[in-house]
Amino acid sequence: MNQIPANDAVVATTNGITRGEVILEATDLVRRFTAKGEGGLFAPKKTLVAVDRVSLALRAGEVVAIVGESGSGKSVLSRLLARIITPSAGTLALRGTPIDLRSRRTTAYANEVQLVLQDPFASINPVRRVGRSLERPLRIHGTPKDQVQARAYEVLESVSLTPPQQYLDRFPHELSGGQLQRVNIARGLSVRPKVLLADEPISMLDVSVRLGVLNLLRELCDAHLLAMMYITHDIASARYIADETAVMYAGQVVERGRGTVVIDAPVHPYTQLLVSSVPDPDQLTHQEHRATTANAVGFNLEGCRFSPRCPHATELCHTSEPPMVELEDGHSAKCWLVADAAQRTAVSMRPGPSSEG
Amino acid sequence: MTTSSNPVLEVSHFNVDYGVGAAAVRAVDNVTFTLERAHVLGVAGESGSGKSTLAYGLTRLLRAPGIITGGDVHLHLGTDADARRMDLLAASEAELRAIRWKHISVVMQSALNALNPVRKIGKEFDEVLKTHNRSMSKSARKDRARELLGLVNLTPDRLERYPHELSGGQRQRVMIAMALALQPELVIMDEPTTALDVVTQREIVAELQKLRQELGFALIFITHDLSLLVELADEIMVMYAGRIVERAPALELYRGPRHPYTLGLMGSFPPLHGERKVMTGIPGSPPNLKDLPGGCAFHPRCPYAMERCTLEDPMLSPIEDGQRTVACWLHDPSVSAAVPVELRRKDAALAGEAG
Repeated sequence: MNQIPANDAVVATTNGITRGEVILEATDLVRRFTAKGEGGLFAPKKTLVAVDRVSLALRAGEVVAIVGESGSGKSVLSRLLARIITPSAGTLALRGTPIDLRSRRTTAYANEVQLVLQDPFASINPVRRVGRSLERPLRIHGTPKDQVQARAYEVLESVSLTPPQQYLDRFPHELSGGQLQRVNIARGLSVRPKVLLADEPISMLDVSVRLGVLNLLRELCDAHLLAMMYITHDIASARYIADETAVMYAGQVVERGRGTVVIDAPVHPYTQLLVSSVPDPDQLTHQEHRATTANAVGFNLEGCRFSPRCPHATELCHTSEPPMVELEDGHSAKCWLVADAAQRTAVSMRPGPSSEG
Repeated sequence: MTTSSNPVLEVSHFNVDYGVGAAAVRAVDNVTFTLERAHVLGVAGESGSGKSTLAYGLTRLLRAPGIITGGDVHLHLGTDADARRMDLLAASEAELRAIRWKHISVVMQSALNALNPVRKIGKEFDEVLKTHNRSMSKSARKDRARELLGLVNLTPDRLERYPHELSGGQRQRVMIAMALALQPELVIMDEPTTALDVVTQREIVAELQKLRQELGFALIFITHDLSLLVELADEIMVMYAGRIVERAPALELYRGPRHPYTLGLMGSFPPLHGERKVMTGIPGSPPNLKDLPGGCAFHPRCPYAMERCTLEDPMLSPIEDGQRTVACWLHDPSVSAAVPVELRRKDAALAGEAG
């Protein structure tokens, strides 16, 4: 469980990748879905925006955590990056090369960007031995036949399933959830991808083995300089593992920041609500929960998406969408309160008498 | 715990098996506890620890191949004047039907499975109220249903909706309102908020605390989330491989666990504040009930395991003047090994150093 320090004297490079280099970059990704309209069979169709102008960069050796509730669009985002779903708009670039999003996903792309899903019992074929599930992607991605088994051994060892021969001949039901999720991660890593997208990788696992898998992901990220996206609804686990955290609400990133700043000092009212909702026995005494309207569902599509539930919402919030405002060191939030405060600071810092308003 | 008691549920040496004969697997093993009136008992454990089987077993909702193979379960009904003690394990189906909803009700994790998808919410309420109170008029039933929805912060128009038209949180609120409809003495909730978002979970837990103060029912709340229990429960019972390994008042348990498994469980949740440091969780995998290790079931994963742990299973015994109970050899007076400082009483540790 040793982490390689980021400021290692020797600049870590693997396969010509430098730590911190941007591997996968998404700019203004949008995905719309058409849904059944309200009011009968022939009602006009509704458009749902699942992912709304999301930009992010995944860097080698870093973990970006995407935090959000169910329905916030975080899983759709991971599938857009894996190119399982085609974006409605926006661009993707892999190591600086723009990807033609109208074409089909190539094997070469899948080789670089791998997705690990939440439920290992659902994502690994139950009637095949673990070995076969592991070897198949290797064959597809052109590993020479005589090296397939050696590579399967190697990846099982890298996820601490040792000795590997003990696992290759087992069926998924013979393994525990934690072990099977390690197999799932091993399978994702077997083709030596540069990007690993992990969608809720620990939420189906037993509480006592979650940290083990989380530590494993962090180690793999550091050791192989993987650019990792960690999707979760568990804020504490994001705080534990991430180099950067982005909070999603209704398809948009509403707050993001490096390190733990988003969770330790949230500025967006939604992030504040989220953080204060987590059970925290250390702060039982001064627990005060912000009143939001529990029955308010549905998002405001005109202004700020969160405004129907926000305790601080003003007229402006309901009518126009706030910009993403940078506060400091890459900590930014999409909220009018923050935008106003930032503007006021900027105004007061302006030299000389300034004519305001 | 204390002798002067007013219990609502007494469970002793309760066992549940899955299957029979040589293939039988013991899912709940020798569970004994008493739940006081209007108290909240939290049951914590991982999947396979037997916590849900316990809930199904106690309420006689267990389905084959689950079999209750031993023990006693008594429910105390009514108040002083017409109080009676009912043997739940000996009760007939008809007797059980009469007490379900009215004296004991259950809220399960998935409200979507608990509600009939082709029936409006109002109809479900109507049926519960009608079955247990024939004399109640239709309009009175409707008023009561509205009132109950109000208790859980739902608007009365939800009565005209189908389950699929409600969000997960709203459905779980409906289930809670129905569980409280006939003011039972005991409500059992099995992971009621696990499928919900944290914000919704927070709202429901807050409502639950308020309702409990108003209505005074006893609650058994089952979850894997220890931190949630610390907020909600009076006492917490930790289960591992079908057994109770530790029981203590909620805050005491949180501040100082005595069983290595409880300590490991608490170390499995990354904190929300403070310095980020590498944590380890609990090594190994949860036990396979078909093939439990000999001695204490936790010993293969326990950093403090001694030889005795591999040979003999520790009994759940009171420690610290009966304030709490724990099943661990480390705390057995006959064992000479010193209790590790992290599993020791804090003031006792100080006293030990001074002396």
